[in-house]
Amino acid sequence: MNIDLEWRNFDVLVIGSGGAGTNAAETAAKAGASVLLVAKDPLSASDTKISEGIATVRASGSEDDSEEALSENLKIAGSDLPVEEITSAFAKDSQTAYDKYRENGLRPEISSITKGPNSLPLPMGGHTRRRSVGHKNSGLAFGHANWNAIVKENKIEYLEDCWVIDLVTSEYDDGGRKVEGAIIYDAQKGKLLAICAPSVVMAAGGLSTLYFPKTDTMRGNTGDSYAIAARAGAELVDMEQTQFLPFCLTSPPSFEGLLGGEPVTASYLGVLRDKNKKVILDGVYLRTRAECSAAIMKAVEDGRGTPNGGAYLDMRANKRAPKSGTYFMKFLQNSLPSAYNNVRQAMNKKEAQCDELWEVRPSAHYMMGGIRVDENGQSIAGKKSNNGVRGLYAAGQAMGGLFGANRLGSTSLTEGAVFGSRAGFAAALYSRNFNKNKLNKDLFLKEAYKLNNLLGQMGTKHASQLKILVQKECWNNLGPIRDKKRLKKTQQFISQCRKELKKVQIGKNLLWNQSLIEYLELVNMIDTAELMTHAALERDGSVGGHVRADCKDLSIFSKPYSTVVKVRKSHIEVSKIDRKRTELKKLVEFKFKEQKRFLEAKLLRLLPMKFKDAIIEKRYKKIMGSKEKAPPLEPGSIEAAVGDQKVL
Amino acid sequence: MNRRLQNNSEYLEVTIIAHKEGQDLPTKFKYKKRNEKEKPMALDVLLQAQENQLPDLAFRYGCRARNCGVCTIDINGKPRIACRAVVRDGDELKAMSTLPVITDLIVRRDQISRQLKGKIYEGGRKNDLNVEASEDYHELTSCIECYACLDNCPMHEKNFSEIKNDQDYFQWGNPFSLLKLQTIATDPVSTVVRREAAVSAALELGLETCLDCPGCKCGVGIDLKGKVIKPLLQNSKLVD
Repeated sequence: MNIDLEWRNFDVLVIGSGGAGTNAAETAAKAGASVLLVAKDPLSASDTKISEGIATVRASGSEDDSEEALSENLKIAGSDLPVEEITSAFAKDSQTAYDKYRENGLRPEISSITKGPNSLPLPMGGHTRRRSVGHKNSGLAFGHANWNAIVKENKIEYLEDCWVIDLVTSEYDDGGRKVEGAIIYDAQKGKLLAICAPSVVMAAGGLSTLYFPKTDTMRGNTGDSYAIAARAGAELVDMEQTQFLPFCLTSPPSFEGLLGGEPVTASYLGVLRDKNKKVILDGVYLRTRAECSAAIMKAVEDGRGTPNGGAYLDMRANKRAPKSGTYFMKFLQNSLPSAYNNVRQAMNKKEAQCDELWEVRPSAHYMMGGIRVDENGQSIAGKKSNNGVRGLYAAGQAMGGLFGANRLGSTSLTEGAVFGSRAGFAAALYSRNFNKNKLNKDLFLKEAYKLNNLLGQMGTKHASQLKILVQKECWNNLGPIRDKKRLKKTQQFISQCRKELKKVQIGKNLLWNQSLIEYLELVNMIDTAELMTHAALERDGSVGGHVRADCKDLSIFSKPYSTVVKVRKSHIEVSKIDRKRTELKKLVEFKFKEQKRFLEAKLLRLLPMKFKDAIIEKRYKKIMGSKEKAPPLEPGSIEAAVGDQKVL
Repeated sequence: MNRRLQNNSEYLEVTIIAHKEGQDLPTKFKYKKRNEKEKPMALDVLLQAQENQLPDLAFRYGCRARNCGVCTIDINGKPRIACRAVVRDGDELKAMSTLPVITDLIVRRDQISRQLKGKIYEGGRKNDLNVEASEDYHELTSCIECYACLDNCPMHEKNFSEIKNDQDYFQWGNPFSLLKLQTIATDPVSTVVRREAAVSAALELGLETCLDCPGCKCGVGIDLKGKVIKPLLQNSKLVD
């Protein structure tokens, strides 16, 4: 072999340095484990860092916010696909997990009433209660806390610019698989690392880059978590459930895909219109992201889409109201400061002032499916939820089972902290059972040889260019709207693409070999997309983030199930696993209340201006309280830095 | 040829300076505008160059919205955040000059975080987390870690003019590291011991260099001189 292998031993290997990976590494180190954290991007540069910085903290807004209420909220919003043990764990730990961020420097506004973190005035995207805490500088505040957690002590080793090639696994006594470690490409040093570790926490984020540039997330989301875990033998759940944000920008090109607004910021009178200006969705501010995205894509499917394949978000009525109109602009500017900054820079002045329509289109934002785990992040498998790959843990976007078919707003930062900590702790405990010096060297060498053979591969294709073809295919046929024909087409495309892999030119050098990096990511993208097509074909009905143009919507009263996909030697195995349905009584109540709210929203919109203006002004006054002052903004200006706006 | 191109609004011509094994490799690249009015950012140019002409061009990027701080490059010799830096005809795109170049436009970044390893959060914190931080504290956490502030920093330059003992981290500091230390010093939950530890860490990194320096420039508009350097100098008793 031409490559030098550097051998290292650790108790726990953590992959990813966002919220989930950081919390896993910190907790595992605290539990006494030796920890290596690797990431392909610079330390803490992650979706956590670039998020809107709003976290779910139970009971931050109302006293009656019990663990049961939050858990049930997640489960029903996810169309009963979420696993109760996992939603309960989220509800149980949300406050302590959030406090870990505070221990590392996150400083929220403190409520004068609760003396704790102050929640935003309105329940965020689909929550039944106020429990979302916003932060100055949005996700950057979380990014700094993560950075501090890793750097503050000398306990955690970390390496940037590292691409995990594959996990190394061996056969367990009962015939299952167990983790031995990983083979990692350190591009910065130009080395190959053989990391021997009995526990691995997969926290390498999502897959939104499959849809680039129609995404608002980090470039690194090439499906690494899912592809690497699946190749190691893990089961994945709900892989058809991608969350698309409905109101993202379509132009200019530099801003394509970035966030413009959320359903709630459309406010009381915002509606969605098709290219003929006909209303396609009412009461937008009460809707989930999935509902809005589905409405837009169904209109596009019928040929009623806007020039860039989206819809128009019409917020003019909010603005026109003589009294409440001024409150609306403040509300919009303050609620999502960084999204509104995108709008100011990308759109013209009239659009940014909401005097004209916004052209919007869904963008990939979050993967709700992922590695099938229990409430401690441990990989599980089979009908009876037995052990999956032993020693494999997942947290954050990498894991599935928490959100099912729809994710509530502000939950992902909390998810990373809750399950990062849980997985890190469980991984540290598990690693204590193993003798680090007992090492199966041949297994590592086998993986290393695979890479060795790739270096210097001759060919006429370039992985970076094939990636672009994959992205176009995924958007067109595996995107926010799907049907059987398109999914089959994607599968054909993928098998064709696999043949092309042998023709990809790969350089010989080891120091930052970009062609190798592109190749490794391309393979992960293809593997992930293929797993998704199988799950998407199995789910023959629309639910949440999975919209099938050729099937009916699945009723929330139908028997809920999750799709499970697993890589076998020569094929992908697909199965269904039943989920527990929420009590019928509660579902009926939920549905009834929801319909009532939609009706009320519609009636309000249809009232004569004088009356609705007065009602809405009262509401704004109530939610914005004394903090109604808007920052001095020059709409359309581009000098705005991220840090200069305050969260409402 | 060149003159015709300049008058043709469909294209922009820039120079991308790749880097391999210690050698600069300049390439002329004609960026094709995606619409007549487009004012492309540097990142758009790099992405198109990778798609059409330089398939293995290495460069960092992340969020495309000036949040993640990883895509900083030099444009005409000045550090700019590539996803939000408008490119003009004739511009030269190159790796940041203030950090060691690995390949093409990729620089090594982790020697900066490693210089603070184990140096922050010494001395514990107060138990009550329910306290609000000052406006100054929040101004500091708006840092996106783009490292534009390394430009022209005499303290950071010392890392390259003196013999290095350790390759793993920089011995001498920079505005970013000082910002992290000052954040600890203004954190309301920091104990006096922790505040003092942060200030002595700043001194160890070479804070006295700031005495003779006109000041540093932040990529996202943080008042580094007023909110970082000045209070650190005062607390370290280097100035009154």
